[in-house]
Amino acid sequence: MMSTQFPWLTVLILLPLVAALPIPLLPNKYGRTVRWYTLSAGLIEFSLMLYAFWQNYDLNTPGFQMVESYPWIPQIGLNWSLAVDGLSMPLVILSGLVTTLALLASWQIKDKPRLFYCLMLVMYSAQIGVFAAQDMLLFFLMWELELVPVYLLIANWGGQNRLYAATKFILYTAAGSIFILVAAFAMAFYGGDFTFDMQALGDKSYSVAFELVMYGAFLLAFGVKLPIFPLHTWLPDAHSEAPAPVSMILAGVLLKMAGYGLLRMNMEMLSDAHPYFAPVLAILGVVNIVYASLTAFAQDNLKRRMAYSSIAHMGFVLIGIASFTTLGVSGALLQMISHGLIAAALFFLSGVTYERTHTLSMKKLGGMAKQMPTVFALFTAGSMASLALPGMSGFVGELSIFLGFTSSDAYSTTFKAVVVVLAAAGVILSPIYLLSMLRQVFYGDASEAVAIPGLTDAKPREAFIALCLLIPIIGIGLYPKLATQTYDATTVALTTQARDGLSTIARQPMLDIELPFMAPTVLGTEAQAHLVD
Amino acid sequence: MTQFLIDTVWWVPLYGLLGAIVTLPWAVGMVRRTGPRPAAYFNILMTLLALVHSITLLLATWALPVLHLDRAWLDFMDLRLTLSVEVSSISVGAAVLATGLSLLAQIFALGYLEKDWALARFYGLMGFFEAAMSGLALSDSLFLSYALLEMLTLSTYLLVGFWYAQPLVVTAARDAFLTKRVGDMLLLMGVVSLSAIAGTLGFGQLGIWAETAQLSPLVATLLGLALIAGPVGKCAQFPLNLWLDEAMEGPNPASILRNSVVVACGAYVLIRMEPILALSPVVLTTLIAIGAVTAVGASLVAIGQIDIKRVISHSTSAYLGLVFIAVGMQRQDIALLLLLTHAIAKALLFMSVGSIILTTNTQNITEMGGLAARMPATSSTYIVGSLGMVAVLPLGSFWALQQWATTVGSHLMALMLVVLLVNSLTAFNLTRVFGLIFWGQPQAKTRRAPEVPWLLATPSISLAIITLLLPLMLNQWGLLPEMAVWASMPTVLLMASGLLGVGLGGVLYLSPRSPELRGEGWKVLQNILAYDFHTDQLYRLTVVFAVRQGARLTAWFDQYVVDGMINLMGVASIMGGESLKYTISGQSRNYLLTVFVGVILGIAWLGWAFLN
Repeated sequence: MMSTQFPWLTVLILLPLVAALPIPLLPNKYGRTVRWYTLSAGLIEFSLMLYAFWQNYDLNTPGFQMVESYPWIPQIGLNWSLAVDGLSMPLVILSGLVTTLALLASWQIKDKPRLFYCLMLVMYSAQIGVFAAQDMLLFFLMWELELVPVYLLIANWGGQNRLYAATKFILYTAAGSIFILVAAFAMAFYGGDFTFDMQALGDKSYSVAFELVMYGAFLLAFGVKLPIFPLHTWLPDAHSEAPAPVSMILAGVLLKMAGYGLLRMNMEMLSDAHPYFAPVLAILGVVNIVYASLTAFAQDNLKRRMAYSSIAHMGFVLIGIASFTTLGVSGALLQMISHGLIAAALFFLSGVTYERTHTLSMKKLGGMAKQMPTVFALFTAGSMASLALPGMSGFVGELSIFLGFTSSDAYSTTFKAVVVVLAAAGVILSPIYLLSMLRQVFYGDASEAVAIPGLTDAKPREAFIALCLLIPIIGIGLYPKLATQTYDATTVALTTQARDGLSTIARQPMLDIELPFMAPTVLGTEAQAHLVD
Repeated sequence: MTQFLIDTVWWVPLYGLLGAIVTLPWAVGMVRRTGPRPAAYFNILMTLLALVHSITLLLATWALPVLHLDRAWLDFMDLRLTLSVEVSSISVGAAVLATGLSLLAQIFALGYLEKDWALARFYGLMGFFEAAMSGLALSDSLFLSYALLEMLTLSTYLLVGFWYAQPLVVTAARDAFLTKRVGDMLLLMGVVSLSAIAGTLGFGQLGIWAETAQLSPLVATLLGLALIAGPVGKCAQFPLNLWLDEAMEGPNPASILRNSVVVACGAYVLIRMEPILALSPVVLTTLIAIGAVTAVGASLVAIGQIDIKRVISHSTSAYLGLVFIAVGMQRQDIALLLLLTHAIAKALLFMSVGSIILTTNTQNITEMGGLAARMPATSSTYIVGSLGMVAVLPLGSFWALQQWATTVGSHLMALMLVVLLVNSLTAFNLTRVFGLIFWGQPQAKTRRAPEVPWLLATPSISLAIITLLLPLMLNQWGLLPEMAVWASMPTVLLMASGLLGVGLGGVLYLSPRSPELRGEGWKVLQNILAYDFHTDQLYRLTVVFAVRQGARLTAWFDQYVVDGMINLMGVASIMGGESLKYTISGQSRNYLLTVFVGVILGIAWLGWAFLN
């Protein structure tokens, strides 16, 4: 399938890679040339991206657009096939925005800047590749391609314990992503006609047992990345050691790749297994929210606290995916976008704090508001967004998920009530840890670590970065259609498909989920019979 | 003209918001050359516009039927979240009250915060505050009201945390936010389930729905309890009451609004939700119980306070408790009337309190005395405000409390006792404060106290005049009962209770003798009251303890169990590798031995399998 139009997606993926090539040859006086060069590459990429979608993307079409496909290594069936739909397009823009801002936030990198910026650009490419890939093998390649720069960035430019954190990150995520490859091969070989094309794989009809196994494999892979309890412990370590720009991308984009994967592989391609796993996802989501929120409160390290907060917020994505309603699924996507912006802003601001005070321990920080009022104001705004205050994007995302889950007809009322109430308890916990963070860091009298002469407030560049993230947050919060219209058409189609899966398995609409852990046994005898086949 | 005013009713909240946004350059320090004053003037101008707009609208739509306006916000498949506005005399009247008091408070702040370096930030926050309040007054959708209540929570947090370097502000702002947020979240849960059950969130449609709704008692009760949790937090009712007391750490002009109209906003939402609450008798009883406990408890606690702002703020909780009881008895008209009279009187009291704090630089009433002669305007506003608060003379709250007593109170003896107790305790307390501040001998901090400048005096005196005129206005609006109705036993009892409070207070605190009550018993009682019946200890031992220990537990679990497993795997593989490396000895006999053993084992296994 060759398209005649201009191959925008290929250009978008290759541009940062090509831009990274001449970096080693650039003169490097105080790292200035490199950073301006990289920043302009990022900006060009981002504007091209906006232009390409503006020109070629039709918001009302649910299916794939801007499709391009070229055989790459035909011997193993690998195609360079790319396309975007409503699930991936907003996330591509999100990664463009966050990564470009992360490049602008890397101003202080003095050590080996050329390597640093090269890796950042490679990461830029890989993120877009993950979201745009339409070939399972290509998806896996892009997924792996993005792991390596993160590892190197943490291992080289991280904090004191960086090697431990980087190794943990790479082992965890690489081990997880093996499952993607295994599942991809299993699905490709299933039923004779060998293909890696995602659409063709989605159209194949698998036996339910096979789908369940595949679903489990993907869930493991994405569960590490999202992360889902108990596979999450790499994240706080990686965040607390990573330099701020890497943290921004890690929390802002990389976690979303897992959410995207869950929507794309688990929910879309394996829609027959989805009903069996959905209650488990909902429960895992609740566990994520409550457990991570509580743990966040006990953290002393600023970035660790926000890492746990990320885990809690990604729990909502799971509940949204499990909801079987358009509102819930689009809420999940909105929550990903919104958390991408919020987490990037908060991690960036904690980086700003760290650059000045050289500590992330909240016990040592204190009373910074007097010297850094702008950072204080921005931090407060970010925290408010994170704790889902109405008028900011986090609220719309979590509200849609709540509403979507309560209006779902796939679960019994008791189960829904328990999930919603526990998730709400998690939402009450989020102001507890965020406000106590603000209190410890900013309010009161200046502490020793902060009483440094010449501690300057945010520079215009830094304020600009934070505002670039906060303005969309408030924009989406006040007028959610800004975000929702980019994916509405796709999520509606996706949910319809998932509901088909639901109804083919359990012919009665109500799944009586009394023992959610054993969904198949409570689906009714008909479903069991189906499973035995 | 009327149509134009109705179509532009959206602007009323937007004025305040616009003021807040335009103030930003001054607030963040981008504009320094002009000083913060222009920002303040602009906000006052915006508030004036909002007031004029809402008054004109009120006059224009006075006789018109209730109007509803809708705008879609999140329009998604079967879900439509709308931003709806109601134009009625009550909603626009509430907007007039909110913007009017906001205007007075902002003029007051111009004098009160004259030398504060962050004046622009303060005005930005006040604009935000006002926008949320007037929006709440006009809102016709539970969803919009919820969102605006959260905006109020945020602005309370920011306003209480205004002087963020002060030690007590640190916890006060956080507690205010958290307490209200707990209530708000429960309210949100109610809103979410209501949208699933009723399919609409407009107050009007909800009222219609509630008439025919068939809910099981359990669902109705849970729903109602979730819905009242928001107002309970917002109105500082037990057990979510402590934040208001702590919030007194914020600047006084914000306290004027907070104690008069902001708390009223919570009750206003409660009143709008009444048809749904009435679905469950348990919820109504809960409302009455919460209201009664808070009314009596807060009135008692107020007596033990020595911080001038806290003394007055506790009585806010008490009066809102009476409002809760009225809503619980399904008398929304009385609830609204009490909210109105209380708001005006309380705002006036807080203005005079602010004037005193500004001139004496202290909030401790035991350090004051003899101010009556030195600050005549302030003392008269205090007296007018106090008289407007309690039922002694036929001023504002007298009429509200009188109606309360004749209708609600006469239903149930216990409730009658509650209102009598609240009235007499409040009267006693206000007399006590009057005696300590204005009477007696001047002390070090009050000896050289001058009268306040005109920026503080003008709004106070204007509001005092309004307070005095309020009965006339009520009469004009036909809100006063017939002579025959009000000249009854409850009225007499009410006035008697007020006079008793004033008299007792006068005997103890207006006499030249020292008003201290000696003896251990009194001290213990005083301490119990001064520490709010140790409610904060209750929190500390339950919720705070549970969250803190829970957090420590999960953090421990996370570090040692979840992460420990992973690290154990890492250590195990390293150990495995380390120990296996000793098998690589380089001596061929060892390798041969290994191969030999391996082959034997293999054959044995095969043979065993074969034999089986």
